[in-house]
Amino acid sequence: MFKSVQYVIKENFSNLYRIYCIAKYELLADMRDSKFGILWNFASPAIQVFTYWLIFGVAWNRKPIKVDGIVVSYLPWLIVGYSAWWFIQPCVQNGCTAIFSKINVITKMKFPVSVLPATVCAKEMFNHGCMLIIAFITLLLCGYFPNIHWLGIIYYAFCAFMFAEAVSLILSVLTMLYRDIRKLVKSLIRMFMYFSPVIWECHFASHIPFHNVLNMIMKLNPAYYIISGYRDSIFYGKTFLDHPALTLYFWGVVLILFVIGCMLMYKFKKKFIDLI
Amino acid sequence: MNNYAVKVEHISKIYELKNKNNQYKKDKKRFYALKDVSFEIQKGDVVGILGTNGSGKSTLSLVLAGISDIDSGSVHVNGEQALISINTGLNQQLTGLENIRVKGALMGLKKKRIDEIIDDVANFAELGDFLYQPVKKYSSGMKSRLGFSISLALNPDIFIVDEALSVGDKGFAKKCMDRMMQLRDDEGKTIFFVSHSLSQVMNFCKTGMWIEGGVLREIGDINQVCDHYAEYVESLNALKGKEKQKVLDEKFEKRLLPAQKKKKIFSLFN
Repeated sequence: MFKSVQYVIKENFSNLYRIYCIAKYELLADMRDSKFGILWNFASPAIQVFTYWLIFGVAWNRKPIKVDGIVVSYLPWLIVGYSAWWFIQPCVQNGCTAIFSKINVITKMKFPVSVLPATVCAKEMFNHGCMLIIAFITLLLCGYFPNIHWLGIIYYAFCAFMFAEAVSLILSVLTMLYRDIRKLVKSLIRMFMYFSPVIWECHFASHIPFHNVLNMIMKLNPAYYIISGYRDSIFYGKTFLDHPALTLYFWGVVLILFVIGCMLMYKFKKKFIDLI
Repeated sequence: MNNYAVKVEHISKIYELKNKNNQYKKDKKRFYALKDVSFEIQKGDVVGILGTNGSGKSTLSLVLAGISDIDSGSVHVNGEQALISINTGLNQQLTGLENIRVKGALMGLKKKRIDEIIDDVANFAELGDFLYQPVKKYSSGMKSRLGFSISLALNPDIFIVDEALSVGDKGFAKKCMDRMMQLRDDEGKTIFFVSHSLSQVMNFCKTGMWIEGGVLREIGDINQVCDHYAEYVESLNALKGKEKQKVLDEKFEKRLLPAQKKKKIFSLFN
């Protein structure tokens, strides 16, 4: 167990430049493919957020969200949460095919397979940066100005990165074993979004039966910690020290997922070529 | 003193076959890609691997390169080995120059090393101003030239070349051969050379290795092995349709082995 964790960590850290290069040139190739290039990295999340805002914010007339006496109107609230989701979702989805999409490389040259999930996460980190820029501009337009608590985003982005890395380690190996996983994840990720506090607070009001239990279950979702962490940093001026139990739970889950991912990766590192 | 570069002891590689009538099921039979192959190669030796199609040459080169795992036996490699693969890792959208960086990084070169080699690679590939064009616009010969030139930047102790030199026009093929000869003579690298071109193998290699039906048929002096191999191929070609089919069927039959329950993910915690 320790051997596999050590193996994956060592392989990743000794190949940092490789990870960086793969991520960079894949992004670049993606941009070259289209005429407007990098513009799409900004436009597609903007359009997504705009859609949700139009439907839930305008058409369904969502009230401003009130937590601990601080009222935040729906658009800035949505855009901060969505920027976190815009990192987690593609990471999980593309993490599935991290190894599978590089099959022509790993069958033809000696390649440290365990760095592939990290390349996907690094690539999505760039898109996440683009999304955050959009979010910051929107926040400024809505009258929120940067303060020291905003730096908490860096911590939560790191959380999101580790979570995404751990999940894609597992999913990328499982996809190689059973190709069905990719399709399953693709379908489930949508559902998962509605169980995360992206477009609603994931909080059941007190008139719903078992609302306490349901709210607890919602908090078990690691994405809950990340997304609400982004909002805490920006709107509510809270740090991770304000939720010690949730923080411990989150890192526990990430650690377990990471160890499982490492074990899978270590076990199958030389078998992938036969699993095509 | 162990002066060997590669020592292979009784390696076998087994593939599972799919059921003829139902692709979702596994067949009861399994198939030897390599069966009990053993040999030892000294440092600085140049080995030509011969064999008809589907006899296990590429599987062996993948095993030697450390990419593929074996089911039984052991492989000892003394030094670092690298498989020369030409078209791998080239990105269609990016320019030739960017691809040098992409493939260099994929092969695990450090940034400094890539900066060093970039001019050499550009010179060797002889692409001229096409270096600044996206690779999707390249002809297949140009792509191979670029890919091969980048591969040469690797500096392992053991080269494994699988059908890689049959690319490009005559001029470039000669240039590649010259470079390989240089690696062989001046730098004393161990080279495994898989090719169907008998004349190329005969010129280049010192030791011959003939694999047939996943089994090592012969290993020894290159000329002798080449002669025997050529004889075998001719005798196979001389056979009439039905007889040939029979020989091939027999060969296939020999490589089969009975089914065995194989555990996959559940054996993770053992």
